[in-house]
Amino acid sequence: MKLIATQDDRDLAAMLRGLLGARGAEPWDALATAGIFGLGIPEEYGGSGGTLSELGVFAREAGRALCPLATYSTVLAAHAVLMLGGEESRHRWLPDLAAGRTSATAALWNANDAADVTPALRADREPDGGWRLTGTADFVNDAETAGLVVVSGMDASGRTLGFVCNLRGPGVTVRPLTLMGGHRASCVRFDDVTVDDVLNDGKPLDRNQLRRTANAAVALISLDLVGVGEAVLDRTVAYTTLRHQFGRPIASFQAAQHIVADMHISLSAARLAAQSAVFRIGRGDTAVRETAIARMHSATAAKWATLDAHQLHGGMGYVVESDLYLWSERARVLSTLGGGADVAATWLDDDEVSRAAIGERLRRKDGL
Amino acid sequence: MDFDLDADQLAWLAEVREFLRENVTDALRAEIAEYNLEHPGGEVAAFRRKLGAKGWFGLNWPAEYGGLGLGAVHLHLLMSEFEYWGAPGPDLTVTSIAPMIMRHGTEQNKREFLPLIARGEMTCALGYSEPDAGTDLASLRTRAVRDGDEWVINGSKIWNSGAQRSTHEWLCVRTDPDAQRHRGISVIVVPVDSPGVRIRPLIAWSGYRTNEVFFDDVRVPVTNLIGEENRGWAYITGALDLERGALTNAGDLRRALDELQVLARMPRRDGSVPIDNPAFRRRLAQAEADVEVAGLMGYEASSMLADGVIPTVEVSVEKVFSSELRQGIADLGIDLLGAEGLLAHRNPEAPAGGRFEKLYRFAPLMRFGGGTNEVLRDVIAQRGHGMPSYGR
Repeated sequence: MKLIATQDDRDLAAMLRGLLGARGAEPWDALATAGIFGLGIPEEYGGSGGTLSELGVFAREAGRALCPLATYSTVLAAHAVLMLGGEESRHRWLPDLAAGRTSATAALWNANDAADVTPALRADREPDGGWRLTGTADFVNDAETAGLVVVSGMDASGRTLGFVCNLRGPGVTVRPLTLMGGHRASCVRFDDVTVDDVLNDGKPLDRNQLRRTANAAVALISLDLVGVGEAVLDRTVAYTTLRHQFGRPIASFQAAQHIVADMHISLSAARLAAQSAVFRIGRGDTAVRETAIARMHSATAAKWATLDAHQLHGGMGYVVESDLYLWSERARVLSTLGGGADVAATWLDDDEVSRAAIGERLRRKDGL
Repeated sequence: MDFDLDADQLAWLAEVREFLRENVTDALRAEIAEYNLEHPGGEVAAFRRKLGAKGWFGLNWPAEYGGLGLGAVHLHLLMSEFEYWGAPGPDLTVTSIAPMIMRHGTEQNKREFLPLIARGEMTCALGYSEPDAGTDLASLRTRAVRDGDEWVINGSKIWNSGAQRSTHEWLCVRTDPDAQRHRGISVIVVPVDSPGVRIRPLIAWSGYRTNEVFFDDVRVPVTNLIGEENRGWAYITGALDLERGALTNAGDLRRALDELQVLARMPRRDGSVPIDNPAFRRRLAQAEADVEVAGLMGYEASSMLADGVIPTVEVSVEKVFSSELRQGIADLGIDLLGAEGLLAHRNPEAPAGGRFEKLYRFAPLMRFGGGTNEVLRDVIAQRGHGMPSYGR
């Protein structure tokens, strides 16, 4: 147990801050060159190795710098392939995804509740052994631009199977949705679409592995939200220190300092919770409890950090000449998709690990 | 970052639990329930002797001072576990005063006091606040004047918890009346049984006893001054940071919430079950999320201490977060139990012995004590983010 960033993590964060800090430029190629798409993917599949925690370092910096979300769509699709398997699929898809040569997205959980991993599509078996998908997957991130989708389907006997499918192929209709902040998500219709690959060597997917895949996305996005909040906290401190009223910097007013302190406290809570969740998932756990807690804290902390930042900037942060609203929109969008704090709170209800732990602790300590 | 306990830490936790299982007896619990820690020569005293025999009063000290040389994470694990059991563990003398003596004390200070503290034979009450110097501690007025080989002390201290069972006062005094505020302050160790020391009990809302202590021409040897004259401010602010860290482990919160999770699923006297109410489920989930994080904050601060860094901002965050959470859990406890939540502490009919009724009255202390949360929010903004002082 040592909750201090390692020197490697600090170096990675500094490198990414420089790389992503060059605003205006599309960072995809630079991220690909730096091997970021392959973080947490074993080298045997063309990845950069390392753990999910290192990808977490990227997520936090990505939020801070407003790195385009399409990056995540590809990264999360790659991790879905990695976590759901099997070997053939990993070898077939991961080298291109991990190098940033192929873009992808995932449609494996409900946009209103990431714990709901029931397939949205029907999977029909073809006589030759292949599969066809029919149905609608809603709020699929970056489907307009991604080449591939990792998606689940339910077969005639109610089993859940995982597929990789070309989004540009025949029978796929991508209807872009207009969301807050220009966030790119689409309603994707599949009409008898032939899949490119079946995950897990054609075997049904284990619900825990699907939850773990969804949880990895939720936990990483939680760290993105922490980065969003930390960025607006820093610029709020800078602005209030420069802005003078009544002959003194408004940062010298206790009311302003206490808002900043509360932003700091809630972001510290969110950071620790999200880092813990990413660590546990990276170790192979489903980590329902840690993911729920990360989500509850980060969704709330980041959203309120941006709203408090608006309050302390006043009109100067409200006009679009100031780009503060870009962070506010990212916080609102990312704390909504997959379910916010109230949805995540229900994930704790069905977490048997927590329930068992309470009983074990109380038995050990001659409780009630 | 590593969120797993290593083999050494797991073994330590097992040792601590084994000790508690053997030594937290029904008799000890009964005595604490009836007298808190105020029963001289009883079960608590015997329990403390066993702790001293294990060397646990000096567990995080270097071996050269009679300690076990274990790290801050080990201390944090032990404190959290003791809090979970409601057992009296190493107190502030061990966790914050002794480290300050090691850092800043004279050679004689170290030789004289540290072995006594390690054996549990010396315990200090913190003599900081005065009736007119609370949060604004630097305006304190208790004087120490040198007279030959002795300091002569006059003044009074308030919120002097534990004076009635401590052997010494860790006293913050003004030694240079002409210096600006915090520049003329020193720390002097004063035996509580010195002539001229008078203790007046003050009983708090929770039943907690604290004291006002008066010093009337009290004389102690000059060698009882800690470190250097007029440098005391730096020592006590350092000790306060350590105190906050030690005060704010989440063990008691984890215990309260574990019990609440069980109570929430048991029928109340009218047959209704609190957990059936979705609003209570949501609040319990939030309490789970918050207690989990309070624990992580403790691990973060102790990881930094283990690396030799005094985590001023981090323990301020931890203290604000956990103290406000403690009030929230007390409030949730009574809300969940409804009318039965009002059954008084130690009423045999009260669920969980009335622990939430008591906690509701106890929790305010942790929010304003050890540095008010308002001042700690200033610390976070000013020390953590460089925001300007507003002229305190």
